[in-house]
Formats: sequence, C-alpha cells, structure tokens
Amino acid sequence: MADSSVILPSLVVLVVLTGMRARIDVYSAFVRGAKEGLITLLHMAPYLCAILSASSLLRETGVLDALCGFLAPVLSLLGLPREIAPIALLRPLSGSAALSLVASVLEACGPDSRAGRLACVVCGANETILFTGALYMGAAGVKSARYALPVSLAAYAVGLAAAGFLV
Amino acid sequence: MLLAGMAAAAVNGDFAGAQAALFSGGGEAVSFCMSMAGAYAFFGGLMQILRESGAAEALSRALERPMRRLFPFQPGEEAALPEICMNLSADMLGMGGAATPAGLAAMKALRKTDDGRPGDAMELFLVMNMCSVQLLPSTAIALRAAAGSDRAADIVLPTLIVTAVSMLTGITLCRFFAGRSKSRG
Repeated sequence: MADSSVILPSLVVLVVLTGMRARIDVYSAFVRGAKEGLITLLHMAPYLCAILSASSLLRETGVLDALCGFLAPVLSLLGLPREIAPIALLRPLSGSAALSLVASVLEACGPDSRAGRLACVVCGANETILFTGALYMGAAGVKSARYALPVSLAAYAVGLAAAGFLV
Repeated sequence: MLLAGMAAAAVNGDFAGAQAALFSGGGEAVSFCMSMAGAYAFFGGLMQILRESGAAEALSRALERPMRRLFPFQPGEEAALPEICMNLSADMLGMGGAATPAGLAAMKALRKTDDGRPGDAMELFLVMNMCSVQLLPSTAIALRAAAGSDRAADIVLPTLIVTAVSMLTGITLCRFFAGRSKSRG
C-alpha cells in the first residue's frame, strides 16, 4: 500500500459517481442512509451499554485477564497480541459486543497501533457465526447443522491466523 | 458475563470496584455512541447511494454463474440460486437488512436430507453466510475515523484478504466433507 490515505477519498468519489451514473438522487439517498445509520446506532446503544458494563466489570475484577492469559499462548502462536483475545472470543457470538471491545482497544492503544488495526480487521472481516447460524437454521427448520459449524469456526481460526500474519 | 464478574467480585471481596466498573462501562457506551454518530451516519449515507444505484443487483448477476458451478445443487434446488446470489452480494456490501430476507428465502428453497438435516448445498450456504465476505468494512472504518486515525481506510486491504482466506477455507472444507459423505453413501 503505497499511500493508503487516498483510499477513502477515492472511495467516496467512486460511490458518488456510481450513484450519478445510475441517475439516482445522490443527495437524498445519502440522507436516507445517514438516517438509517443513526437509527442502527440508536438500536445498538442499549446492547453496547450492557456489554461494556459487563466487560468493564470483568476487566476490573480480573476475570478477563485470567481468561486472556489462558488464551494468550494460543494467540501469540498466531501472532496476535493479547488485547485481541477478548475480541477474537466474542466476535462469533455478538457483533455489537465485539465492536464495543474494538472501540475500547482503539482508545487504549490508538487506532493506528498494530493492536488497533488488528482489532478492526478481525472485527470487519468476520461474521457473528453463531448468531447467523442459529437464525438461518431456525428459518429452514433444521436442528443439526452437520459440519457447517465446525467448518465455519475453523475458517474463522484460519482467518485469525491470516490477520496475525498480514497486519 | 455479568454473573461471572459478580462472582469474581465476591471472591475478591471488591464490590466497590465492581460498582465503579459497571457505571464506567455504561458511560463508555454512551460516549462511544456519541463519538461514532457522525462517522456512522456518513457511511450509512454512502452505502445507501450504492444500494440505490443497484450495486447489489449488479453484483448478484455477476455471481450467478460461479455460484451455479460452486453449489452441489440437487434437482429442484436451482430455484434458490437468485436468492443465494442476492444474499451473498448484499452481505458483501454490508447490507444486512437486505441480505437476511434473501438468505432466509434461500434456506427455505434448499433441500434437507430425509432425516431433517441440511443437505450439502444448504451446508455450503450456511458456511458462506457464517464466513461472510465483506468488501467494505464500513463500520470498522467509521470507528477508526471516529478514534482519530489519519489512515482510517488502512484496514481495507488486509480485511479483504482475511475475509477471502476464511471464505476459501470454509468452501474448501465444505467440499471435502460433502465429497466424503457422498462416498459413504
């Protein structure tokens, strides 16, 4: 990446041009989406409140440290710093919980630190595996997922290793 | 999580610390939301432009051919193909709201085995959803921008590679298992 600071602005230009080519009202589309973004955030707030309270409790009481100390050897084998441990643990379970942990890592280590960037990659590149799985299987009315879950978790682990290697 | 924390507080006899931690967490959540609001709204707006320009439909059409080859469809299951493509492309663009209904429709169209367990095509679809490819991690970028990063989009490329790696792993493992259960009869 020669100069990644051009990525974001050019992305914005590209999106706007796409919209103009499709002959839509770019401005009102933007406003609608922005409103939706805010509403999503508002929906997330109560969950964030619960998760951050609980996770700060775990942090203060030392439970998180114990848990991460337990996981740290495995993660360091993958080249991941220990700040990532709670994120890696929570990501498959809850998107908003993992996101709030990413926010606290960004605050603690800085957004451009290795831990901060890793946190974003881990969070951005993966899905809430267990939630999605439960939702979809519920819709189809199947009870056992056969190999889908272990395969997904294995793919997640490989993704973690790739993140540790790349970032 | 709360219970585990409380139990630990009880063991340490440190309820005052626990109380302080609880409330600082709540405050953290609110200030996080406030700091996020601007960036979140901005990316929400950008994504909406993409959405209304029909990016998902275009991507979905592009996916149809490779997906037809990739999925081990049983006769009658091809009907799920448009939904599958729609779901995957919406997922890639981070449009969860559009992805889920299409995904659920696809799940209903895919077949189960006789004992009510998912067939191989359904398994693969499940895995692809659980590993979900993200083309543009807009939330993560928004977070970074809000945290004052001067290179907020720095993570786009690594995220893309990581998500592709885990998706490929998932697909490969699926093919492996699907082939195995077939040969067993």
